[in-house]
Amino acid sequence: MIPQDIADTIVDPKAYAEQKRVDEAFKTLRREMPLAVAQPKDFDPFWVVTKHADILEVERQNDLFHNGDRPTVVTPIKAEKRVRELMGGSPHLVRSLVQMDNPDHFNYRKLTQSWFMPQNLRKLEARIREIAKSFVDRMAAKGDRCDFARDVAFLYPLHVIMEVIGVPEVDEPLMLKLTQELFGSADPDLNRNAAEMQDVDAAIASLQAVVGDFITYFNAMTESRRAQPRDDLASVIANGKINGEPLGYLEAMSYYIIAATAGHDTTSNTTAGGLWALAENPDQFRKLKADPSLIPSYLEESIRWVTPVKHFMRSATADATLAGQKIAKGDWMMLSYPSGNRDEDVFVDPFTFDVARSPNKHVAFGYGAHVCLGQHLGRMEMRVLWEELLPRLEEVALDGTPTRTQANFVCGPKSVPIRFKMH
Amino acid sequence: MADGKEAFKVWQCRTCGYLYEEEFGDPNEGLKPGTRWADIPDDWICPLCGTPKSDFDMVELE
Repeated sequence: MIPQDIADTIVDPKAYAEQKRVDEAFKTLRREMPLAVAQPKDFDPFWVVTKHADILEVERQNDLFHNGDRPTVVTPIKAEKRVRELMGGSPHLVRSLVQMDNPDHFNYRKLTQSWFMPQNLRKLEARIREIAKSFVDRMAAKGDRCDFARDVAFLYPLHVIMEVIGVPEVDEPLMLKLTQELFGSADPDLNRNAAEMQDVDAAIASLQAVVGDFITYFNAMTESRRAQPRDDLASVIANGKINGEPLGYLEAMSYYIIAATAGHDTTSNTTAGGLWALAENPDQFRKLKADPSLIPSYLEESIRWVTPVKHFMRSATADATLAGQKIAKGDWMMLSYPSGNRDEDVFVDPFTFDVARSPNKHVAFGYGAHVCLGQHLGRMEMRVLWEELLPRLEEVALDGTPTRTQANFVCGPKSVPIRFKMH
Repeated sequence: MADGKEAFKVWQCRTCGYLYEEEFGDPNEGLKPGTRWADIPDDWICPLCGTPKSDFDMVELE
């Protein structure tokens, strides 16, 4: 059994904001108990999968380790009970690809898969480059100081994905606010109540209200796209068929919600964290400046470095063996991606930021059938931004102390104040 | 034309969309530029998602 202080740390949103505390906890686990059971206060027990190889092994077997039978995000006992009461027995407030298993997962993923494939995205690259250039120009216009997270990293991927979905630019601030309220629900700077959320019922009610606002918005969009389809993702979802029938209501709304949240927040976190790392490591910045062919490896390293998705949960559908341990049917498991991406058996000097790291087989996008659908879009957005920004960025340094969002699911930098020189 | 014989081809993973382009290989996977699909071992798996080589399709890129 994992010691109580470590068990409590790995679910504590504040520990992820500090990062060092959570890094130390996982380092200890990888060394001393790489696959063991934790029972944080107020939570059901769950296995903590800390090693890169074990994460791949679980993700690869998506019929043996399900997403949808238990909450996909680590959730206190009372919160799971409350959600099940509200959702007719389901442990989920939404039902997106993340909460589905086969055959639904396969069928629903197929609906938009071709949209997110590299050959389709190549058609979008010129437009994405225009957007990236406009943000680089905006940054240059700020003079010699900005908050790179708030002024560039949060807004650029937001603009790209909203254009892909078909959300008008005027609604982007609403989408950003709702995303931050959803993923930052434990952060008093970001959640809807602007407070520490201690009461489970109040926290669930707050999340439900955020989901409700998304649904109101996208319900109207569905009607509009059914009446007049366009060349956008919203039209694919609104008019899509699964086994000859339109998508279920909750499933359709959830499809929009995941695209409108995960479709930019993860990329924003990685972009902000990538520049933060360059500002903190001037030798790496100079190396990258001297050799732009390193942009792809810098990009992968920034994804590994930030690992914006901190975990997903799985549950076993049958008795199984993993890393020599017996996993019983129904057992709940936390796949810790930041831990897998600092695994000393896979990465040389894992706590060093290395723009030339190769190979870099991180698990930040997951693995197996549930591997991130938007990974190719995220990579393209970041590559294009760095191709436009780095040649113009002559100097960069931190201009204060960056901060991170308090969250144990999806999080990254909240503020990255920098001083810079651009031409 | 490659090798003076056959044009390079592109193969795509059905699960995640990873592209293997014979012309460029995949140095991270130890596959040098010019490595033909047929020369990649049958037990090789997609580096992004673990899908087996048998679940790749040949595709044409514009």
